[in-house]
Amino acid sequence: MILQVFLLSSKGDHLIYKDFRGETDASIINIFYEKVVALPGDQPPIVMYHDGLHLIHIRQGGLYFVATSKSNLSPFTVIEFLNRLAALIKDYCGALSEKTVRMNFALIYELLDEMMDYGYVQTTSTDILKNFIQTEAVTSKPFSLFDLSNVGLFGADTQQSKVAPSTAASRPMLTTRGDQGSKNEIFVDVIERLTVVIGSNGTLMKSDVQGEIRVKCFLPSCSEIRIGLNEEFSVGKSQLRGYGTAVRVDECRFNESVRLDEFENYRILKIHPSHGEQTVMQYQLYDELPLAPPFRLFPTLERDPTGRLLIYMKLRCDLPPKSSALNVSLNLPVPKGTLSMSQNLSSPDQSAELQQSSKSIQWDIVRFPGGSQLSAMFKLEVPGLSSASLLEVGPASLSFELPKHTCTGLQIRFLRLSVSQPALPQRWVRYVTHSDSYTIRI
Amino acid sequence: MTDSKYFTTTKKGEIFELKAELNSDKKEKKKEAVKKVIASMTVGKDVSALFPDVVNCMQTDNLELKKLVYLYLMNYAKSQPDMAIMAVNTFVKDCEDPNPLIRALAVRTMGCIRVDKITEYLCEPLRKCLKDEDPYVRKTAAVCVAKLHDINAQLVEDQGFLDTLKDLISDSNPMVVANAVAALSEIAESHPNSNLLDLNPQSINKLLTALNECTEWGQIFILDCLANYTPRDDRESQSICERVTPRLSHANSAVVLSAVKVLMKFMEMLPKDLDYYGMLLKKLAPPLVTLLSAEPELQYVALRNINLIVQKRPEILKHEMKVFFVKYNDPIYVKLEKLDIMIRLASQANIAQVLAELKEYATEVDVDFVRKAVRAIGRCAIKVEQSAERCVSTLLDLIQTKVNYVVQEAIVVIKDIFRKYPNKYESVIATLCENLDSLDEPEARAAMIWIVGEYAERIDNADELLESFLEGFHDESTQVQLQLLTAIVKLFLKKPTETQELVQQVLSLATQDSDNPDLRDRGYIYWRLLSTDPVAAKEVVLAEKPLISEETDLIEPTLLDELICHIGTLASVYHKPPSAFVEGSRGVQHKRLPPRTGSNESVESPESTQPVVGQSADQPPAVIPSQGDLLGDLLNLDLGPPASTVSSGPTSTMQMGAMDLLGGGLDSLMGDDAEGLGGDLGGSPAIGTSFGSPAVMPASLNVPVGGGLGDLFDLGSNVGMPCGSYVEPKTVWLPAVKAKGLEISGTVARRMGTIQMELTLSNKAMQVMTDFAIQFNRNSFGLAPAAALQVHTPLSPNQTIDVVLPLSTVGPVMKMEPLNNLQVAVKNNIDVFYFSCIYPISILFVEEGRMERQVFLATWKDIPNENEAQFHIKDCRLNSDAVSNKLQNNNIFSIAKRNVDGQEMLYQSMRLTNGIWVLAELRMQASSSSYMLSLKCRAPEVSQFVFQSYEAILKN
Repeated sequence: MILQVFLLSSKGDHLIYKDFRGETDASIINIFYEKVVALPGDQPPIVMYHDGLHLIHIRQGGLYFVATSKSNLSPFTVIEFLNRLAALIKDYCGALSEKTVRMNFALIYELLDEMMDYGYVQTTSTDILKNFIQTEAVTSKPFSLFDLSNVGLFGADTQQSKVAPSTAASRPMLTTRGDQGSKNEIFVDVIERLTVVIGSNGTLMKSDVQGEIRVKCFLPSCSEIRIGLNEEFSVGKSQLRGYGTAVRVDECRFNESVRLDEFENYRILKIHPSHGEQTVMQYQLYDELPLAPPFRLFPTLERDPTGRLLIYMKLRCDLPPKSSALNVSLNLPVPKGTLSMSQNLSSPDQSAELQQSSKSIQWDIVRFPGGSQLSAMFKLEVPGLSSASLLEVGPASLSFELPKHTCTGLQIRFLRLSVSQPALPQRWVRYVTHSDSYTIRI
Repeated sequence: MTDSKYFTTTKKGEIFELKAELNSDKKEKKKEAVKKVIASMTVGKDVSALFPDVVNCMQTDNLELKKLVYLYLMNYAKSQPDMAIMAVNTFVKDCEDPNPLIRALAVRTMGCIRVDKITEYLCEPLRKCLKDEDPYVRKTAAVCVAKLHDINAQLVEDQGFLDTLKDLISDSNPMVVANAVAALSEIAESHPNSNLLDLNPQSINKLLTALNECTEWGQIFILDCLANYTPRDDRESQSICERVTPRLSHANSAVVLSAVKVLMKFMEMLPKDLDYYGMLLKKLAPPLVTLLSAEPELQYVALRNINLIVQKRPEILKHEMKVFFVKYNDPIYVKLEKLDIMIRLASQANIAQVLAELKEYATEVDVDFVRKAVRAIGRCAIKVEQSAERCVSTLLDLIQTKVNYVVQEAIVVIKDIFRKYPNKYESVIATLCENLDSLDEPEARAAMIWIVGEYAERIDNADELLESFLEGFHDESTQVQLQLLTAIVKLFLKKPTETQELVQQVLSLATQDSDNPDLRDRGYIYWRLLSTDPVAAKEVVLAEKPLISEETDLIEPTLLDELICHIGTLASVYHKPPSAFVEGSRGVQHKRLPPRTGSNESVESPESTQPVVGQSADQPPAVIPSQGDLLGDLLNLDLGPPASTVSSGPTSTMQMGAMDLLGGGLDSLMGDDAEGLGGDLGGSPAIGTSFGSPAVMPASLNVPVGGGLGDLFDLGSNVGMPCGSYVEPKTVWLPAVKAKGLEISGTVARRMGTIQMELTLSNKAMQVMTDFAIQFNRNSFGLAPAAALQVHTPLSPNQTIDVVLPLSTVGPVMKMEPLNNLQVAVKNNIDVFYFSCIYPISILFVEEGRMERQVFLATWKDIPNENEAQFHIKDCRLNSDAVSNKLQNNNIFSIAKRNVDGQEMLYQSMRLTNGIWVLAELRMQASSSSYMLSLKCRAPEVSQFVFQSYEAILKN
């Protein structure tokens, strides 16, 4: 059973400390911090042991969430619980940071009291919790939908009218009583993470997609909503629907609250969303992308007569011409002996530098339109360049964001609220693909 | 206005100010004040002085304020028990409040106040709340029973709360059910013998029904509870599996893992030819794969579990190799785990893919990861024969990179490949030799030297190479020194003409200039071997080596089975049994997988003498020590044969003498027949000291051995003779191969009225062992260590020590099969090891075992005849006096002697430590050499073991 739960700031300040069993004392907090700071990189920091006490922690929002136990409990339970705690704090206080936690400590204590009793997890569902929570969240500044200063991911293309700012969904879940400017809104986000390995000969060796549909609900009263997916959506290899290009995933998991009676025939998910954020559906696709992977790299390595290493790279973005990739960053390890680098880039909105600490080239492209191609030439000064040191070059890894794009092709056909709301709520559907691990071998 | 201001004030009169505010009339101000108090509490300031003032705020109808006050109370009630009583009235009143939130709050808080006095006030409100109409109150009350049980277990039983709790399992509300199961599980754990969670088919059915109703967290409690149940047969097992399988697609990974645990355990009972079994295997893969898309923290924990599952049932994930490929942005600890699993899953079918991956990894940046990747390539070569050639060429490519640590690691694994496929890849030796100078790690140097020595006849300049190492001989690590010594001796045996000088040099370096006993002793052995019989030396040193087996780092099968029962818990992350890291788990029984009840696979009968269950169906793969010990193994391998060759004739006697003189256990000499202890001693110090003690030895190598020491031995045995009771000779309980180099032999003896375990610990690994500890499993007579295992100094490699561990008989009792079986766990800094041993029951005979004659007669008549057991003791020619003397020394007391028709009858009694009396009639025929023993006892199952003791005592 869990004995204690505590939250620490990244500097080790005690933010929250709750002892559920009275079997241990608070001195463990400082011991934990000393241990976690002293950890060498290659050691799994998840489970630590000190004097009969097991310490399990996660890090979110720059904070340490820690639980302790003496028994042989399930670390999965603890990690899931701590993750939910972090999510709930985010839901209730709007964001997860040292500041919001400090401001709302009384609320968090109250949450903890309802979430866990005597070390047993009670509930982590906002629906149930909202019946018990009395304290109201304190936010640092009133939320404004028009605060567009922080344009990011989702709101990349601000020219287009119907895009919500990325901060729109990060605000406290409103309690039943307070209705300070309660916006009547619901967000449905489709988020995919892409893992790709392209071999040195250009073959696609691995391509996985992990995706999820998340609903953030800020409606005053949540009645049933219906989310329609592509009709061609199919699960598993055998099951193909229709003649068109199927939207296929290998596995699919649904939140407990999702009703699937119309899923089989109409691909409709029905849920009663609770306040705040929840993951409605998670899915995976292995090894069969419906489209070509978004990026291809054509590198050439050469030694010029003066003994320098020339790396010429052509990077092509295979997205449809209308969309584009953002914040593309390519990282290429180079020989350890590299001293300096000169560069020649094809267009001005790129930048590149040699990172001395990791001996790698970092090539950044802020915006990369689909169907276009960029190239770069790097000349490296490597004393004693041998053929073996050419082996040290690569693999290249890319990180990027693809707004308004899903790799599986999953789309939300419609989002319907069944019961007529007093005022028609704003409905937002957003798509984004992140790179999880995109590797191109050289 | 935000809460953060509460953290900022630290003025002097703060407590005073707070006091004033707490006593304010205004509600808002009070609330603010209590918040401030709690903020101070969080950062660790002592605000206990405000206790009465805060308690005064308790009587309020504002729920938010009330919750805050209760929060404070929970924290400080323990340090202020008298004050806490002040609050009791409000608690009791709140338990009657019309608002269910307040009722629940009161009962929750009262349980958390761990003050004895409060418990008596708690009972009535708790009883009401357990039957409350509101489920929120009931679920809180259910937990409260567990809280109260922790404070006062007796009270909870007397008040009948446990029965109420059992009823709550069938409650209509899922949260109530979940908490009831959780509370009962915990209470049951502290009372292992109570049948609180009486798991029978009916109650299991109830739990399975509740499983569908429960919240996700409740499902975890229920699944964990199910995992403790052992189904009666495969049919029941299958039906439970069918009902648990849907949980595998749950979004909560803790639910998934608990379900996997149940399935992995119950699968054990399903016959493998069943269609359902195959289906189940297929169903297990997707949820495990899905876990790998979670956060790195969960991924790591999942990978540790998958590592166990793959070892137990590789077929589950054999097609999923790709998901274990490393992503460049995985944290290093995830990468290393994935690599490990990749090797375990490597097979002929996927080896090409795996190798291509590993080659990529070997050029990455992270040093630890690269090293492990290179090692992995070597392990692939050893595991999949068809791939060996490709692995070797991959390794050669890597050596070409000249990256220092890659080269060294590659050489270490190539050595293993040579051992697995001798005389196949020698062509690469030339390439290896080019890199000789860049090797700076002992392991790599030792591996290279081994290769040079092993293939000396094919390397033209082997002598030059080895000579170059010899220059800095004293600066090398022991590992390298030992290897160099062996390699040069090998070289000498292969090319005797040109290397005489070299071998002289290394032998004198090893024997005369070194302080290291291992090195010195090995030097002497070679020296003597070479000078007495070079032909024999050749046979011994150049003997064909056994091949190394393919799987390394496997978890020992019994431990693996136990860990499978603990899937999804900390044990599965640490890969250690819970007893190794959970306090107070001494009495906790090790979990075992249920035996398979399948159709054609019941190989072992249930009453099999093997104490280890669960090994039945699948033949467990042999475990060889991990990489680190491999070399040690290798070294001993060179040495093993010489020891046994040497120990012939007088030498062996001498070894025995030396051995026991060392150990100081003169008594044990009696038992020590010269039955080849020396044989498996290998290069242990026993031999070493016998050579080392007479200082003259090394000078004249041809001195016949024996002599003085042999006499000493005789003396020793004379001293030993008249002394005390029978002691079994030490036997090897834990062979070194099973315990990463730790060998334990021992015996259990009764000396001067105390029972003691006499252990000989030998370190056959290459690293120092420390932190020894010992634990017994529960056993038939409650044997338990009476003191800690006294190993004061670290045990260095090849050192042997004797330890005496006093035992008591007051430990927890559980009937074992056979009765005198004892399961022992020994821990050291390396790992925890398990073994079981059999002790003679005679050690349990107490000194007060003499029965009055009358009592004897009455008891004999009183015990029913079916309890009588008769045995023959053959081939024993002692007269009755000698017999009764011998037996008396072992606390078997002769009460009367009769002579009937040329038969002598001895009537004897003995008493076991647990109070069981055993009565015996020993009939001795003057004419024959066989005795007849009749035993009567109220617990007839001990008779057989008493007989065994008789036989052992009389024949020794």
